[in-house]
Amino acid sequence: MLTAATAIQRMPLLGTMFSIDTSTGLEEINSWPSLMIMTSFVWLAVAGLLGVAMPLTQLLDMQSNLFYTALTAHGAALAFPFLFQLMVGISLHRAASCLGKPVTGPLIAGIYWTMNIGAALLTVAVLGGLKISYAVMYPLPIVGVETGQWSMSVVVLGFTGLALVLTSMIFLYPFQMIRMLFFGNVREDLQLSPRTLNDPGMLGMAIAVFVLLVMGIPLMTVATPVLLGLYGILPMEMISWATEPVVFQFVFWIFAHNLMEAMAIMVVSALYATLPLYLADGTRKLYSDRIARLTLWILLVTSVTSFFHHFYTMFPALPATLAYHGNIMSWGTAVGGALTVFTVSATIWKHGIRAEAGVMAVLMGFVLYILDGVTAIVTSNVTWSFQLHGTMWAAGHTMAVLIAMALMWLGVFYHHYPVLTGRSLNNKLGNWFVWLYAVGAAGAMYAFMAAGAAGMPRRFAAWNQEGWMVYGVLILLFGLMVGAALVFLARDLWQAKALGAVQQSNSS
Amino acid sequence: MLDFLYQNAGGAFAVMLVFQVPFLIVFLYIIYLKAYKNPSPSDTKAATLSQMEWAWLGLVITLFLAFNLLSIKYMPQIATARVEASAAEIQDIDVSAQSWAYQISDRQLQVGRPVRFSVKSVDTVHGFAVYHPDGRMLFTMMLIPGVDTSSIIHTFTEPGTYKVRCLEYCGIAHHAMQDALIVAAKP
Repeated sequence: MLTAATAIQRMPLLGTMFSIDTSTGLEEINSWPSLMIMTSFVWLAVAGLLGVAMPLTQLLDMQSNLFYTALTAHGAALAFPFLFQLMVGISLHRAASCLGKPVTGPLIAGIYWTMNIGAALLTVAVLGGLKISYAVMYPLPIVGVETGQWSMSVVVLGFTGLALVLTSMIFLYPFQMIRMLFFGNVREDLQLSPRTLNDPGMLGMAIAVFVLLVMGIPLMTVATPVLLGLYGILPMEMISWATEPVVFQFVFWIFAHNLMEAMAIMVVSALYATLPLYLADGTRKLYSDRIARLTLWILLVTSVTSFFHHFYTMFPALPATLAYHGNIMSWGTAVGGALTVFTVSATIWKHGIRAEAGVMAVLMGFVLYILDGVTAIVTSNVTWSFQLHGTMWAAGHTMAVLIAMALMWLGVFYHHYPVLTGRSLNNKLGNWFVWLYAVGAAGAMYAFMAAGAAGMPRRFAAWNQEGWMVYGVLILLFGLMVGAALVFLARDLWQAKALGAVQQSNSS
Repeated sequence: MLDFLYQNAGGAFAVMLVFQVPFLIVFLYIIYLKAYKNPSPSDTKAATLSQMEWAWLGLVITLFLAFNLLSIKYMPQIATARVEASAAEIQDIDVSAQSWAYQISDRQLQVGRPVRFSVKSVDTVHGFAVYHPDGRMLFTMMLIPGVDTSSIIHTFTEPGTYKVRCLEYCGIAHHAMQDALIVAAKP
């Protein structure tokens, strides 16, 4: 606990923004979450710079190697140590303050260090030449060694990093959440807002961590012997079953798809938990808890087997029946999404809402999430998938869901920030952040989708063909708008005032 | 109309907008109204909201069913089965993908004659995407090494040079993995 607090204080610039409040006796729920959120912002800066680098390498006609390096490092940094870690930090703080359980101990430290050391090793491997995209594209890492694209040492380094990241996501974080949800005594001094699993906000958390655990185990079952084979501990012939490309591809997508779904369930539950707190009439109630819970179960049941949509275009290896099953399940997730739209709309309509930056960030993130959900179901229709799979449409979907969820979590972070740090954020700066981010993200998403509809391939370092560069320019411009929004957020965090000072200035 | 919707990625873009634009207008209007104009509680009756809830769910499910049921006819798997069941003469083209080139058994095709593409990868994951001369993608296939060949039947309707591209990232020269098919007019 003290180590985490000290680490925050010693961090240049960010230490000022994230130093925790020591006056409330809540260090046991504030320290590690604050450190995780702060570290996720470092990775966001890394991911953002790499994201801008991609279109720049194309506009300036630079080496394609640079594009593929940026592509791999950007995707990995954005998805895992930024967004997942941001979610871990905020969700642990939510769970702790609702359940009255401390966020301390070796398991918490393990979540943090395995994620960040793993992500750092993976980044070093990418900078050392490993260009495999965040989706790994197995068996590309091995084929790349055989064809002289990179060395086996960077593959071993990169896979070690990935294994650590996956350990954090699939085992350590779910174990910690399960421990807090179902075990241990409630400490009333830490319980700020008591909630139970009947509350949709808590139910979604529980569902999400079980999805991560259950859907991640097949990937770890395959990845562990592969890693031991790469280390030379197990002979390669003993692990041939795990090195079959089709085996790896299936276990990878069963996890990767459900990782996104678990994160979506978690963030929808965060929406359900946060929205009532900002209702204008102070009722603090959703339109219907029953429908909110139903939505989460629909999302769970339909999302588990909708991963088949990643394989439609390998017909007949993936039979048409399974393809259409994936189609139905993918659109089934949108029924859950539609019910969420109704619940949120009816709640706001019925009770009114306070126009504060935090809840606006959650709501604008939700708008982006639904817009992205539409792009997802369109491309998960079997017919359209054959015309869109592998294009910028798919890349845009991934990008949009990540930055939509990021905005929703950042909105929840606005809500938690005063408890974490004892300081309050500025609503005006917050609103600039929210609206610039929302417009930039939506613009980038439409540029990606238009590019995909025009046939522009994703992960493709030749944007100067077929007039595709115009989409690249648009993506860059809207991406810079998101970057500008984050500057407003950084300024807001930098200028945050102590809660007492805010109350004093309000009363004067 | 349906041909445009389901045989052209522009149709997919249009359908996306059909869902997104009404949502954007209505949802943002509700937020504008209840956050900035008139945040006071609404006096809409619970029964009215409940009716709207069922109407909304009915509309969503109807639209989802309609768009997906209408698409079945255009699924490449269904189109392939339909041609195979007919008496049409099919031209067989075998394709082998390896970083970063294709071996194609015959690049000369003909308008109106169904072509069965049987495609496999021999090293890593590759794609086989065929582009219309106007730049839009007709279809793509994902190829995982070790898996049986991916196979669909496509009938070209216009003559021209159709580009082939790999759409699955396959290494540092992925963007250079391209080829072409020549489709001649009917003699």
